[in-house]
Amino acid sequence: MTLAMTLAILRAAFLLLLRDRGALLMALVVPVVFFMIFAEIFATAAGDQLQLRIAIVDEVRSDESTRLLAALTAEPAIRPVPAELTRESARDQVRRGTADVGLIIRADGENLATASGLAAPPLLLLVDPSRSVTATVLTGHLQRAYFKALPDLAVGRVAELIGTEFTTFTPDQQAEIAAGLRDLRAGAGTERPAGWTFDELVERDNVAGQNAALNNVAYYAGAVAFMFLLFAAAQSALGILDDQEAGILDRIAAGPGGIDVVVNGRFLFIVLQGLVQTCLIFGVAWLGYGVDLPGNFGPWAMISVSSAVLAAGLGLLLVTACQTRAQAQVLPTVVILIMSAIGGSMVPRFFMPHWLQQLGWATPNTWALEAYSGVFWRSEPALQLVPICFSLFGIGIAALGLSHWFGRRLVRD
Amino acid sequence: MRRFGERMALAGADLTARQGEILVLLGPNGAGKTTLLRALAGRTRLDAGSIRIGGGAPDERTVRRRVGFVPQTIALWGHLPVRTNLEILGRLAGLEGPGIAAAVTDALAWSGLAERASEPVERLSGGMQRRINIAAGTLHRPDLLLLDEPAVGLDPLSRQAIHRVLEGLRDRGMGLILTTHDLVEAEALADRVAVLAGGVVRAADTIPILVGRLFGADQEVLLMLAAEPAPALRDFLRTTLFSPTNEDRIWVGRLRGGLEQLPGLRSQLIQAGADIDELRVRQPGLHGVFVELTGQVPQ
Repeated sequence: MTLAMTLAILRAAFLLLLRDRGALLMALVVPVVFFMIFAEIFATAAGDQLQLRIAIVDEVRSDESTRLLAALTAEPAIRPVPAELTRESARDQVRRGTADVGLIIRADGENLATASGLAAPPLLLLVDPSRSVTATVLTGHLQRAYFKALPDLAVGRVAELIGTEFTTFTPDQQAEIAAGLRDLRAGAGTERPAGWTFDELVERDNVAGQNAALNNVAYYAGAVAFMFLLFAAAQSALGILDDQEAGILDRIAAGPGGIDVVVNGRFLFIVLQGLVQTCLIFGVAWLGYGVDLPGNFGPWAMISVSSAVLAAGLGLLLVTACQTRAQAQVLPTVVILIMSAIGGSMVPRFFMPHWLQQLGWATPNTWALEAYSGVFWRSEPALQLVPICFSLFGIGIAALGLSHWFGRRLVRD
Repeated sequence: MRRFGERMALAGADLTARQGEILVLLGPNGAGKTTLLRALAGRTRLDAGSIRIGGGAPDERTVRRRVGFVPQTIALWGHLPVRTNLEILGRLAGLEGPGIAAAVTDALAWSGLAERASEPVERLSGGMQRRINIAAGTLHRPDLLLLDEPAVGLDPLSRQAIHRVLEGLRDRGMGLILTTHDLVEAEALADRVAVLAGGVVRAADTIPILVGRLFGADQEVLLMLAAEPAPALRDFLRTTLFSPTNEDRIWVGRLRGGLEQLPGLRSQLIQAGADIDELRVRQPGLHGVFVELTGQVPQ
């Protein structure tokens, strides 16, 4: 008897779920989509598939450097930035994020073949501190390429070390070593074991200067702020549907202001709420973590206002496009979660495969994050941020216009 | 005219409302009352036909300033105090500056809720909420006030209080159009009644005129059968001026020639095979008008 009753409830719950497309979407479809996105990201990031866009500059152009770069760029995970670069332009590419990391085979360092560790290392990595993992990954690839392409140099350096620190080779032994090294060089490209560390050939240079840790905080402040701007906007926009259910919307729409005043009023509220929210997050980043908010206030304000406008417009559009409150609770959540995952609000975009990074540009999250990065990392002038801010602002206003159209549909039979 | 998919919600309405009177839109559920009211408020687009309020269309801004709309639900922000609700809605109705405070004070006074002005709406009783709901629609002193079931779900005392409020508004010169399916409410309030059925206004006038037009000197007879009538009995009832209702066992008819004709009618019915549960004669009123025009027995 009790089991039958329990099963009756089970049946009712099952049937209700089947009839509630929103709940069905949230329960069955969204988790799978999310899993696919994160599987794609972390399969790439955790395995050896992390694809790196590298700004490469060969200032030496020696036989060794050419062989090293040929072996390195043959790695499937390495994608050189397709441009003839100088050290400064490579640094700029890394700062702007168009390259994940830079590699300079420098003329002002030791020779690759004879590096002793006493002067500047021959390889210089240009590293964005927010993506320091890329330098570690590149070092691994470099090491593999080095032993693959230049085994003679590697073993020669070991032999030299043994000869100077542990024993003195006889002329015959030295001749045998030289012959072996020639063989190694001739057989370059085959995997050989080696017992020598690579680190002394490499130096890291932080392209973001002294404030690396602070820049990381600024990145996440922007990422979190924008995602929650969107969530808060959608939540506040739901108030329109609450007013509709209560009949308030009908009452106001029948008055002289019509539905337009409701949509505009709600839009302004969401923009202001978003600004307060962004101020709070960046205020904590400034006061608690030392992010230079006062020094970048103008550009920051420009991005924050345009982001708040976009979030407000988008939130209203997503909600007014829905026919019922139940739909409006699901659709914006799904859209915002997916946009945030793809757009870099949850996981930094450089972790993502190339196609997903490109897809990110279809989300406002990427635009906003790139704009914040421009301010706090790359110290870009405000003028350079205008196109992104203008786009965010424009899309927000366009979304507001569409919300008006959907809003009129809400109250007119 | 207004069609929703296959359903014709409003098929024909030829009505005129006047200032200083209460026009009640009466009809069973689904008759088109709310659709007509929403069309008057500019909230429903008509597929054909037109509405003119003071010479303008209902969705014109100048016309909307002259119309107040009171939805059936309590269309107020429940968490906000009464006064705040009225102030915001007054602004949205087009009031400005000191005019808002004056209108709010006036509305609180005539609705009898001045003492409760600082309390959240959700803490008020159902009747009080209904009064504030109406007051919110009148802040801008509209010429025409549209009310959708303004007293639905209230106890008799609260209902009477609402009626007094509505009569007070009429006495101030406002024109009121309200919907109801409650005959008692319609009889209590209406200066004129428009009876709707199937999306059509079947008749519109004062109750005495409607009764006179439909019944003349006849009495109204309500026949309740103990069982569903056979086809032959149905035919007989129709020939003896009975009209069917939405309930098979209930028929409404007319008794001509005074009460002395009742025993004869009773005999005729029994001879025709009627198993009579009750045969009631009464002075015709809005009930009879409603049944005659809509073919339905009011609840």
